[in-house]
Amino acid sequence: MKKLLAILLTACMVLALTACAASNAPAAEAPKADAPAAETNAPATEDGKVYKVGICQLVQHVALDAATQGFMDRLTELLGEGNVTFDYQNASGDTATCGTIANAFVADDVDLIMANATAALQAAAAATADIPILGTSITEYGVAMDIKDFNGTVGGNISGTSDLAPLDVQAQMVKDWFPDAKNVGLLYCSAEANSQYQVDTVQKYLEDLGYTCKQYSFTDSNDMLAVTQTAADESDVMYVPTDNTLASGTGIIDPICQAAGVPVIAGEEGICDGCGVATLSISYYDLGVKTAEMAYDILTGAADISTMPIGYADKQTRKYNARICDALGITPLEGYEPIG
Amino acid sequence: MLKLETVWKTFNPGTVNEKTALHGLNLHMQEGDFVTVIGGNGAGKSTMLNAIAGVFPVDSGKITIGGVDVTALPEYKRAKYIGRVFQDPMMGTAATMQIEENLALAARRGKPRTLRPGITKADREFYQEQLKILGLGLENRMTAKVGLLSGGQRQALTLLMATLQKPKLLLLDEHTAALDPKTAAKVLDATQRIVEKDHLTTLMITHNMRDAIAYGNRLIMMYDGQIVVDVSGEEKKNLTVEHLLNLFSQASGSDEVSDKMVLS
Amino acid sequence: MTSFFNALPGAVAQGLIWGIMAIGVYITYKLLDIADLTVDGSFCTGAATCVVLVMAGNSVWVGLLGAALAGALAGLATGFFHTKCGIPAILSGILTQLGLWSVNLAIMGMKANLPMNVNNYKLLVSLRYLQEVQKGTRPFYQHPIFVVCLLTLAIIAVLYWFFGTELGSSIRATGANGNMARAQGINTNFNKVLGLALSNALVALSGALLCQYNGAADINMGRGAIVIGLASIIIGDVVFGKLFRNFGLKLLAVSIGAIIYYIVIQFVISTLSINTNYMKLISSLIVAVFLAVPYWQQTYTHKKQKEGKVC
Repeated sequence: MKKLLAILLTACMVLALTACAASNAPAAEAPKADAPAAETNAPATEDGKVYKVGICQLVQHVALDAATQGFMDRLTELLGEGNVTFDYQNASGDTATCGTIANAFVADDVDLIMANATAALQAAAAATADIPILGTSITEYGVAMDIKDFNGTVGGNISGTSDLAPLDVQAQMVKDWFPDAKNVGLLYCSAEANSQYQVDTVQKYLEDLGYTCKQYSFTDSNDMLAVTQTAADESDVMYVPTDNTLASGTGIIDPICQAAGVPVIAGEEGICDGCGVATLSISYYDLGVKTAEMAYDILTGAADISTMPIGYADKQTRKYNARICDALGITPLEGYEPIG
Repeated sequence: MLKLETVWKTFNPGTVNEKTALHGLNLHMQEGDFVTVIGGNGAGKSTMLNAIAGVFPVDSGKITIGGVDVTALPEYKRAKYIGRVFQDPMMGTAATMQIEENLALAARRGKPRTLRPGITKADREFYQEQLKILGLGLENRMTAKVGLLSGGQRQALTLLMATLQKPKLLLLDEHTAALDPKTAAKVLDATQRIVEKDHLTTLMITHNMRDAIAYGNRLIMMYDGQIVVDVSGEEKKNLTVEHLLNLFSQASGSDEVSDKMVLS
Repeated sequence: MTSFFNALPGAVAQGLIWGIMAIGVYITYKLLDIADLTVDGSFCTGAATCVVLVMAGNSVWVGLLGAALAGALAGLATGFFHTKCGIPAILSGILTQLGLWSVNLAIMGMKANLPMNVNNYKLLVSLRYLQEVQKGTRPFYQHPIFVVCLLTLAIIAVLYWFFGTELGSSIRATGANGNMARAQGINTNFNKVLGLALSNALVALSGALLCQYNGAADINMGRGAIVIGLASIIIGDVVFGKLFRNFGLKLLAVSIGAIIYYIVIQFVISTLSINTNYMKLISSLIVAVFLAVPYWQQTYTHKKQKEGKVC
């Protein structure tokens, strides 16, 4: 009798799992569900085919969210409302989940996969060699896909957009704003795939310009404070690249740098807004838009993904943070717009 | 066979809980001695046994078993020479493992453990024979998990495990204290049989004065970390409980206690 | 729902891979009674070692072997902290896991992410192969489920044999009753270290398989691995506890527990229209339900007995 009870309860448990709201809802909700309804020069899609696009985003994050939003807005605009459905999945920072998500997309036979961040791209690439994959918010595709002598085109079923803002111009910015400084501290998170590359490259440029550079890395938001403090104490100026962990920790970095009187040049607008003096910003939203345009071409057959080179942000704006400039007593340079 | 030479052990030295459990203890046991140990609570009986077994290192003194100086050896290395039965029936066996697996562990005591199969057919037959001696029907349940056995059965099994390989020294730490009288009697009976059969040198702690007198050829009484009474041979046979109680109150009541105090 | 069933093979394959890790955790958790937190770090160690070895031109088997050895070393470190430094087991595991972060980064050449592109190397398992076998462009014996299944069964067979040997039995005794083990002449410290090394070798092996499957080794892999391992053990125990009594079958139950866990995750992603940001909450609730079932079973039976309706 007890055994029967045990089996019954176990069966109920398994049933409970499968009997969850078994709605066959086709698409998950987008982060912000307002698509700009402007009519544009979008040519009509062939005979009402509804495209299925899977979006795999690695983690919740301001820049990544903006890229996704730009992508969805523009693609909906181009294909027409109702002709495209998005399956938006967020891996919550878990790289293994990216694999599960990619697997789901392939099983669902989507028409295109948008992979937002390196781990998402790698999982999607591992999952399929047929379905076109467009990456975004990825700095270096050659490194991400392990391609020797990368020439700008990944090939196969992969292409995408890169968030690499020209690092040599950013280094020049340091020179423009702080020509008399001697030591530059390069602060980044060692767990971020793209940060090491950016920091190494910027370091080369900065050293060419005559600065002494030192790298300061932290493992996660827990030791960010201590490392930032050391960096602020030892540097005249600091540089921070596009780094997700940093972006969420600007609230910690700002007070430390201000107290030490150390200005920060940021690689991205969101970070600059939180703790930086100036930045050469690309808009992640625009990056998403560009990705959508590439997606449109691929879906409608106007372009072949295997020959599509990696796209970069078209517009780069020089911006400065008025609040922090005031606090540090720095006069903003000509040619820079204020943030916000 | 067993020699304890001025063994000292103090717990929590230098703190408010400091207790000198063993006060320069001296004990000499011949091969084949069956010594019963009695004493009040805190007299140091269990501590002495644990010191011999190596559960903790002693502060000073020397412990020799069968001519081998074991003072510096860790517990598991001394186990080669010693068989132990604990007071707690749960402590002597592994509840989640089968009876035959427990016996197999005991059979390898003191030998290096290799990648050979733990139990062979020959082993099983041997264990069955041994279990029959206990007379508890365990030989028919060799694959049963030990956790299913009663306290008395587990103690009997522990006893068997302790003596499967003839140990140089058998340490019994009030091994029937947690059992009901009937089972306790059975286990003591089994103890007697096994000790006699193999002429094992045995050290048995007991709270029961009658048992202390009835079993063994020598009786020692401990008080405050020292041996205060040591009776053997004819004298022991003629001891009565009353006499023993007198000795006990005399020994624990008096201030000067020498470990060489032997009754005339 | 159809997309869920289409995605099922992938979920099963992932579950099987994590199942190997869960079997490693079983050794320390159930046999040695140690909650070993090293696994969060050694999982990535295995992945990192495998990627580095394969990128250097070795075959995947060398990569897998290297990963297992690296994991064993990690287990040795934890064992050292615990037995020679007297640090409690849980803390020892945390210390090793902490240190492994830097070690893993160093193995990957100070990079947080190393790709393992299936186009460039001959891998043992890959997400890609799932489709290709289904389409017929690959022979069936390269299907990830088949491969990992064979590997799992081989591992279970070896473990079953090992824990039946004298040495293996002494390890089980160490976990079952340390006092008794020492009284029987078993060097419990040595056995604990051995058990930790063996366990983490399996965990690292699992990490090496996952990095091939997903196409990259990432420093963040393995975060939360101990939770998945424990959840798999418990799910396997709840579902199969009464049916599987044999040691080998118990290990199989652990692997199946991991598969069930991943099927549920896949179900959430594929079918439910819940915002995936809630996925971690859902996972924790599901594991909680599994954990509560045996307790509820007990309480229910007890209540029935109280009411006089003894079964």
